[in-house]
Amino acid sequence: MENADRFSLDNPLYRLDHKRDNRFRYRHQWSAYAMLLPAFILVTIFVIIPLVMALFRAFQDYNTKKFVGWTNFEYLFQSDVFLSSFGNVLIMTAIITAATLIFSFFFALVLKYFDNKFGEIAKIIIYVPCFIAGIATSIIFGLLTNYGGGLLTSIAISLGLDPVSFTDSTTLARMAIIIPTIWIGFGSNTLVLYAGLINIPKEYYEAASIDGANWSQRLWDITIPSMRNYFVLQLVSLITGNMQMMEIPLMVTGGGPLNTTMTPVLFLYNSYRDTSRPQNATIAGALIIMLIIGSINWIVFKTISSRRSEDA
Amino acid sequence: MLDMTKKIIERKKGKAGKIIKKIVLGFVVILVCAIILFPLVWMFPAAFKTKREIWQIPNTWWPNVFVGDNFSKIMNLDLNGYNFLSSLLWTLLVSTVAVVLSLLVNMLAAFSFATMEFRGKKALWVYFIITMCIPGITILLTSLRVVYSLHLTDTIWVLILPGIVSAYNIFFFRQFFYSIPLSLEEAATIDGCSRWKIFWKIFFPMSSTPMVIIGVGVFMGYWNSFIWPTLTIINNTKIAQIMQVIRILNTSTYAGQNYSIIIAATELAILIPLALFAIFQKKIIAGIAISGLK
Repeated sequence: MENADRFSLDNPLYRLDHKRDNRFRYRHQWSAYAMLLPAFILVTIFVIIPLVMALFRAFQDYNTKKFVGWTNFEYLFQSDVFLSSFGNVLIMTAIITAATLIFSFFFALVLKYFDNKFGEIAKIIIYVPCFIAGIATSIIFGLLTNYGGGLLTSIAISLGLDPVSFTDSTTLARMAIIIPTIWIGFGSNTLVLYAGLINIPKEYYEAASIDGANWSQRLWDITIPSMRNYFVLQLVSLITGNMQMMEIPLMVTGGGPLNTTMTPVLFLYNSYRDTSRPQNATIAGALIIMLIIGSINWIVFKTISSRRSEDA
Repeated sequence: MLDMTKKIIERKKGKAGKIIKKIVLGFVVILVCAIILFPLVWMFPAAFKTKREIWQIPNTWWPNVFVGDNFSKIMNLDLNGYNFLSSLLWTLLVSTVAVVLSLLVNMLAAFSFATMEFRGKKALWVYFIITMCIPGITILLTSLRVVYSLHLTDTIWVLILPGIVSAYNIFFFRQFFYSIPLSLEEAATIDGCSRWKIFWKIFFPMSSTPMVIIGVGVFMGYWNSFIWPTLTIINNTKIAQIMQVIRILNTSTYAGQNYSIIIAATELAILIPLALFAIFQKKIIAGIAISGLK
């Protein structure tokens, strides 16, 4: 950040030699444009143009290209499966986000006691699942959750219980999605929060212990407030990621039983492959997802930053 | 006197308490690591089981009958044109090319934002940063229209190009470039270096750590991608990406009867990512502290 103001007129070196000399200021202009060009072209073709197209098509008829107002959105809102998919994904995202944040935070607190080789190895081990794709994770967890002879069914039978079916009951089906998702994300979240814990100045804790603060007071009054930015970062990335979850539901339950694990992205993916469904309604659905993710993240940012201004 | 003894006892208690605390916490760490590793440890021998033993009740961890040919079966597998080995190699190629291009394009963009002034800089910065707020799903379907009209489908470019530019990576590199001393750049300018030369001779060689962190991240993104290849690689099944093939295996009747073959395929598919992690683990773990994101 220290060089951020290198071109500012407050920078004496800059001002001394080249007072408000735009010719000097922009002397590398064409090199800069040339270096930006590849990124600019790619981002325009593959992000900006599709976004503009999506904004138009959501209000157009697929075949006639006529503007049809909110028809596509109305079609979507008449689809019970699509509407309930938002409920499903909200529940699962809430559980995953809360569980990941809480587990990660407490495990990061524990890891703080081990700034030795033991801690290093633990950090490496918990990070391993982050390298495994959702598709592969579902296959791996299939060994545990398979109805016909997975590990859990095997244990249940040896205890004299019925085989465990993760695709029949709503709760278990959601568990079969939530647990692998937490498994993948736990390590990276822990390490980010750990980095945050390490950055809290030691003087805070020293001052607190002089004042006789106990463990829970230190946690609530020092650790958690100091970690606010890290929590926001993790909240936003967990919400954004999990609201778009699709691979694990597709692999584990395929959206069932009775669409209780259907997620919006999985619904749109199926809609896209099923050409009998109106494609522009699918695009409208994708815009709704963006809107929802955007507003959740906006609320997170707002609540956290307003708390900050109170403290200041 | 009594006060003194009390204090000494308390201090001793504190010391013993600390050791006990450390032992308990150590057990917690071991327990969590064991839970995290369990699915992988449980999976590993399953690739060597017979198709019957894998679902046998009670389950076994180590196979009673050791079958070694699941790996050779999967390597030679050709399922309606989907070839496992060929897609492993094509995925490796796509991911590697993507890493090189992505580093180059994003670093050049970050370099111009970090070290040069030009008209429209703020607007262009917003233009890039705004893409961070767009979830992939929102532009998925219209991106498909774009690649259809560019006739990119069923080529490796449809896999590589759309994910190259990442506003987050530009942002990350820009922050890193700010930390490179201005004096180095000025000295090079006095020596008559062009901007390109300054990038190649000064900024590029100094960026090895962020390049590893971002590079591994980009590689993982490409290696693990599923939706995009599934929708864009339809006829040219030779270059189908690895996760796509695993999904097809999992839904096919062929492998549906023999889960140990799918396990063997999965183990091969996660081998390269895990090897990358093993090689770069120090930089990656340290990088999380810098970047604050995965």
